[in-house]
Parts: sequence; C-alpha cells; structure tokens
Amino acid sequence: MLMLSELMRFRVIDANGDTTKLTDLALGKLDTDYPLVTHMLYRQNQEVERVLPWSAVKGIDKAKRLIGVESYRGAKELDTPGQPVRLHRDVLDALILDLQNRRTTRANDLWLEQKKGQLHLMAADTSARAMFRRLFRRGYHEKDRSHLYDWKYIEFLRGDPEAVETGARYHRRITRLPPGEIAHLTATIPYLHAAELLSLLPEQLAADTLEVMSPERQLQVFEEFDEAFALKVLELMAPDLAADIVGHLDIELAQYYLNRLPKASGQRIVDLLKYPANTVGGIMTNDVVTVPLHLKIGKARPALREKLKEPDFVYFIYAVEEQPPHRLRGVLSLRQLLTAEDDQTVEEMMNPYLLALSPFDSPTEAGYRLLNSQLAALPVVGKEGELLGTVSIDAAVSQVAPRGWRAQAPKVFS
Amino acid sequence: MTQTRPPEGLEPVHELDLFQVHNRPPAGQVSLRLNIRGRSVSLRRFHRPPRGLLRWLLILGPGLIASSAGNDAGGIATYSSAGARFGYDLIWVMVIITISLAVVQEMCSRLGAATGRGLLDLIRERFGLGWSFFAMGILFIANSGIVVSEFLGIGAAAELFGISKWLVVPVAAILLWYVVIFGSYAWVERIFLVMTLVFFAYPVAAILARPDWGEVAKGAFLPTLDLDQEYIFLLVGLLGTTITPFMQLFQQSSTVERGVARRHYGPEKVDAYAGAVFSNLISITMIIATAATLHRAGQTRIESAADAARALEPAAGQAASTLFAVGLLGASLLAGAVLPLATAYAVSEMLGTPKGVSLDFRRAPLFFGLFTGLIFFGAVLALIPGLPVLEWLVAVQVLNGVLLPIMLIFILRLINDGQLMGRLKNTRLYNVLGWGTFILITTAVVIMLGSQVLTMLGIIPQ
Repeated sequence: MLMLSELMRFRVIDANGDTTKLTDLALGKLDTDYPLVTHMLYRQNQEVERVLPWSAVKGIDKAKRLIGVESYRGAKELDTPGQPVRLHRDVLDALILDLQNRRTTRANDLWLEQKKGQLHLMAADTSARAMFRRLFRRGYHEKDRSHLYDWKYIEFLRGDPEAVETGARYHRRITRLPPGEIAHLTATIPYLHAAELLSLLPEQLAADTLEVMSPERQLQVFEEFDEAFALKVLELMAPDLAADIVGHLDIELAQYYLNRLPKASGQRIVDLLKYPANTVGGIMTNDVVTVPLHLKIGKARPALREKLKEPDFVYFIYAVEEQPPHRLRGVLSLRQLLTAEDDQTVEEMMNPYLLALSPFDSPTEAGYRLLNSQLAALPVVGKEGELLGTVSIDAAVSQVAPRGWRAQAPKVFS
Repeated sequence: MTQTRPPEGLEPVHELDLFQVHNRPPAGQVSLRLNIRGRSVSLRRFHRPPRGLLRWLLILGPGLIASSAGNDAGGIATYSSAGARFGYDLIWVMVIITISLAVVQEMCSRLGAATGRGLLDLIRERFGLGWSFFAMGILFIANSGIVVSEFLGIGAAAELFGISKWLVVPVAAILLWYVVIFGSYAWVERIFLVMTLVFFAYPVAAILARPDWGEVAKGAFLPTLDLDQEYIFLLVGLLGTTITPFMQLFQQSSTVERGVARRHYGPEKVDAYAGAVFSNLISITMIIATAATLHRAGQTRIESAADAARALEPAAGQAASTLFAVGLLGASLLAGAVLPLATAYAVSEMLGTPKGVSLDFRRAPLFFGLFTGLIFFGAVLALIPGLPVLEWLVAVQVLNGVLLPIMLIFILRLINDGQLMGRLKNTRLYNVLGWGTFILITTAVVIMLGSQVLTMLGIIPQ
C-alpha cells in the first residue's frame, strides 16, 4: 500500500546506481475500476522530463524510498504534454465526485497498490489528515481507513468539456444514477466540470439531466456542448424545456440550431417559441398524444402504442377531428383507453366537457386554475379550436410555487 | 350581458367561442423574424437583454459591492488620515491606483468567468497544496484584520449616535450572523448598500468646502515622494485599502456565482471598471473634503470618528456626524457580513468541504465554524478596551498592502495560463499594467519596511 504523496518523494534508481527524481505517474485507461499506472515520469538534474514504461520497474523499496528500474533504456522524451492523465499534475488536488455519498470533494491524496508487479489506483483520501500529512511530509500510518474512497465509485473530471471529445476515458459509473441526482451533483461543481460531466453521459440521460437543472446552469452548460451533442440533446429534451434554452441563446446561434434540428422536433420548438415566455403558450408543451375522433378503440390502441413511447406527458390522450384544423373535441385518460371495449369509438368514450386555456392567458392564473381543478393537465387551444398543447401540473406548480421551491418541485411527467 | 370567460366545462369544448379573451399577445412583446428552413417565422419567446442604460446597470453587481465594501471603516480612516495629514499631496496615488484597481478586479472577474472557479481553488489546482495553504493563510490574516476593523467601525458609528458600543457591537454581530444564516441576506444586503449611498455626501462636501482646485490638480497629477515615514506608511495604507486581497476573492467568486460564462464575458468587464472608478472617485473626494476642512484648519491628526465626520460639515452642517455615522454603519455592516461569508466560502471550496448557507452546522461544520468564528473574533477584538481604533484601522490596511503583491503574483500567473484561460488570457497591455501594479506596490512596501528597519536601527531619526 502506497500513498501518492509518499511515492512522490521517492527516487528512481537503475542497476548502475544512477538516480533520478520521480516527477509524476501516468495512467492508462480510466474506464476500468482501478486504473493502471502505465508510465512514470522522471527528471535528472535540470533536464527535460522523460517517460519510462512502468514495466521497467523491478521493485519498490519503501524503507529506502527507492523505485528500482532495470535501466533507463526505453525512456523517451515527453512528446504530448497534455496527454495522458497524470496522477500528480491532474488528479491530486482535483475536484472529484464521490458517487457513494453523492458529494463533490477533493483528492487530498491517492492510494496506490501493487498487484502482480502492476501499480493500480485504488482509492482517494479526502480527509483533512491527508492534507496535513502532505504539508508536513509525514508517512501514512493510519489503521482506520474509513476516509479512503474506493476509486470504483469516483468520477474524475478535468474541468474541460473538450476532454470528452479528445478521447480521454472516463469511468462513467455515474450513468447509473437518476437524472435528478446527477443534476444535484452538477450544482456543486464549476460549470465547465458540469458541462464535461453531461457530455460524457449518454445523450438521452444528458437531456433528462439538463431538464432538471436550474435555468442559469442549464444555459451555461448547454453553451459548452459541441454542436452535434447540443443538437442531439435539444432533440431529446421535452420541447418546452428545449424552447426555454433556445429562447435564451444568441439569436444567430438559435437560428443555426433551429435550422439543423430534425424536422419534427425542430418544428415543435419553433411552434413554442411563437409565444412570449410570460403567457400560457410560454409554459405549455406541444408534445402530446392525439387520436382521431372516430377511430375504434380496438384500432386506436395499437396505433397509439408507438406514439405513447415518446412524449413525456401521456396521462391524457386528446381526441381531435380528422380534418384540418384538427379541432379538439375531448379527452380520454390512459385508463379509459385501456379499459374500453374494442368496438367503441373514441368519441363515445371521451369527455367533451373540457376546461381549456388560451395561449395568451396569464400563466400564473392558468397555474391556479389547473391546481384548483385537481387535474393533471389542461389543454391549450388556438383560435379555431385546434389543439396547441397542454399545460401540465409540473409547469403549473413552477408558476405558483415560491421561487426557492421551484427547483425542488417534482417533475412528475418527465 | 358581459362575459369574461366562456362557459368551459359546461358545453362541449368545440362549441365554445374560446377567444373572446386573450387572443392577442400581451402588449409590449417584441417579436423577432427568423428564417427557419426557408420560411420566415415570427417568434416572441426570445429573451432579449435590456438595451441602453438599463443593460449596463444590470451588469453592475459584484464590482459595486466589492468597492462599496472597500470604502469601509478602514478605508474611511485611511483616506481621512491621508487628507488631514498631507492635504492634497497623496491624491496622485489614488489616480494611479484607479487604473490598477480596475485592471486587477477585471482580471479576477475574467478568471472567474473563464474557469467557473474561485481564486483559492485555482491556486490549489495549479500550484498545489502548499501554495494554496500559504495563500489561504494570507487571506485569513488580512480578512480577520478587516473583520475586526468593521466591528470597530460599527462601534464608532454607534458612539456617534450616542449609543454604547458595548451594546451595539454584540447586537450587530448576532444580527449579521442570524441574517446570513437564517434570513434572506440578499434583501438585507440592499439595505446596507443603500446606507452607503450616504457617502455621496463626500463629493458634495468636497465641492462645498471650496478647496483650492489648482492644488487638488497638482496633488492629483504631480506625484510627490516624501521620504517621511508617515507619508510612506499612509501611501502603503492607501494601496492596501484600495486594492484589498478580499476584494479580488469576492469579485471572482461573485462572478462565478452570477453564472457569467466565458462566452458572454465581454460586457462584464464594465462591472469591474465601473466599480473601481466609482469607489475611487468617492475615496478621492474623501481626501479632498478632509484636506479642505481639517487639514486647512490645522488639524492634521484624526483621533476619532467624530474628527473624521467633521469633513462632511460643509455639506451637512450640524447633521455631519449623523450622516457620517449612517454611512459608516452601512459600509461596516456590509463588509462585516460579506467578508466572513466570502472567506468561509473560499476556504471550504479550496478544501473540498461542503459549503453554503442552505446547509447546517452538522453538514458543513467548517463553513459555519469559520463564518461564526470570524464574526465572533471580530466583535470580541473590537471591544477590547483602550484599543487605538484609528491606528488599528490604518495598520490593517497597511498589512493588506504588504500581502497584496503576493496575491497579485498568483493572479498574474493564473491569468497568463493559456490552458486555463484559452482566448481570455491576458493581453500584453494587461500584463504591463498588472506587473506595473505589482512593482508599484512592492516598491512602496519595500520602502516602508526599509525605512522602518532603518529607524529601528537608528539610521533614520524618528
């Protein structure tokens, strides 16, 4: 068992007794539980840093503080200073995410272990004692190891969203957490780290996480995404939340994205952007499930199966006329759809007596109406009676709740 | 019969004439025409930053607070002492240092926007644990001294009102502690800021006192260097109180806190510049007002807050002392809350421990411990009987001046790190101004320390 801070005080010695100073250790792939140290960096006198594969190491003498190598043959000059990840320069003192405890902390020291001649990064020491050990150059003699955090549950970020692109590897165990928890973790780290973290998530998870982040943070993080990732995330987000982001971008950039989004999702966002933010149109979503009025339930069910997979809000199914302008005629709940007889039509089953909102109503008033009605959503209808979208209970709560509570309001329909 | 809302839920939805109400967008909504996929669409949801003056006013924030907190008890004491003792002679320092302050504050703001991280954070990540503890130690010493001076300011203001400081200082300490931890600090901060507006009385007083403007101009643009020990001591004090390590820490973390991203940094510069110019204009008028009243009347020493308040007499007459007390109280309370809070934030951030007023003692012991400890320490020390208040205030600013070059080295090295800053790296002009400031302050500090050593050795007579 070795702590990096101790190891950094070791000297490297070859068979001829030539000693050099160890300056850093380079890691191999970071997508394993316990990354392997592949190279060591050393410097002799004031010369440039050189790299030697770790396989050249014969043994480590802790008492004499020496790392024995066969010879310095095989050492190279450092050609790409940025790569790979280096333990002392990059990981030590860096911000790390402790996924077990869902917190952000700093790597005050690193625990390395030799297994079959290979050196693995095993854990991070986040205790205050580790800092004092380093400051006063003391050795590690602690029996209690509760302050060591298993590297398996640590996500190491570099603070550079482009690192994800340049092929730097990540553990990605964080992808097992629900979006809400990831968003909560990102709130405690600098925005560049947050953007990096989201960039390494699968696109759908990144979109879901972005949806639950605070609006200011959303924008900061989104603007750091590379173009392809940003487009994919916008496409996968709920259109109302995507419209919020696009509505805050610089006009040229917004136009650029709107022209490159897939047609269907791009159109949904454009439709929502037509309404000012301080109106019902500004808080509604237009990703809703509709069904033709005269369809038999038996036929409606298989037809809706595919449609039900995508939108966030599927609790209500809106019955609309077959002919343009596709006027709204009534609503069916998901339960009604499942329990109705096959030969009944949608029109027979639906409830035609609806409360409906106009897109230019005040959102606060609409929020209260929805909460008072105890319904999960209210439809928004255009001039000619056509269905424009719905205001869900999530949107209503965020209009009515005090500011501080809004971020914590549950997102029922996402 | 009038009807404001159609009978929804009472008739089938398609039979309703829904659009008797709200069928138009609310007034004042601007729409933008964009070309999307070859079609021109009118969009209304775009968030447009306000134009004109309002836009610039909205940008003002951390810079203004940092600089208002800079004109605190220690600041007033130093500016007043400089004006009373040397008249207009030291104004040139303020003119030069306005540029330095603007440059330094802007660099910190830029560091915050480009990295999203605080100053101590960056020092730890780039220079390692040892240097970050060193920087933390410096900030700690400097900030603890200032916290004490804020409570001295609160005590002095209380006595001008005729209330015992033994009552006001503990009450103020508890109040600040409670408001920050349990109350809505953002709201209280505005009250403190409004109280500091009282210092606008200084420019008025400076004009009404009819100073010799020729002399003022001479003091401002013709640097004089007096090797008198007190002159150099006050010069370093002026540097230290105007560019305080705390202000850099605060400017950077509030830029981060406000969510300024590197892509939108450009206009944010104005905040740092405006804050620097605004605060130094007030400081210069403090010197002019004091010089035109106390110095002219032959009173070259300021013994108490009441003396300093007399500089406001040309503007406020009998009310000078009350006015001065209100401003002093506001500035001291503002800095008395901001400083311990910013220190606790920065230290917790650097050490990687939980932070934030939304947590509690159990979850963030270090953060709350530091915050509480600093306020307690400040209040208790400020109540020590017989503490020479004005001397302490000026001495703390001198200490700040001594520590400042060390912080400047960190800032200048960080801001020239291309990997960290990308295209927001320092330009050559900024480097010249930044290192110029460093040289200016270091020279002043070396001369001051040197002359004190020489005095102690008896080479220069006292």
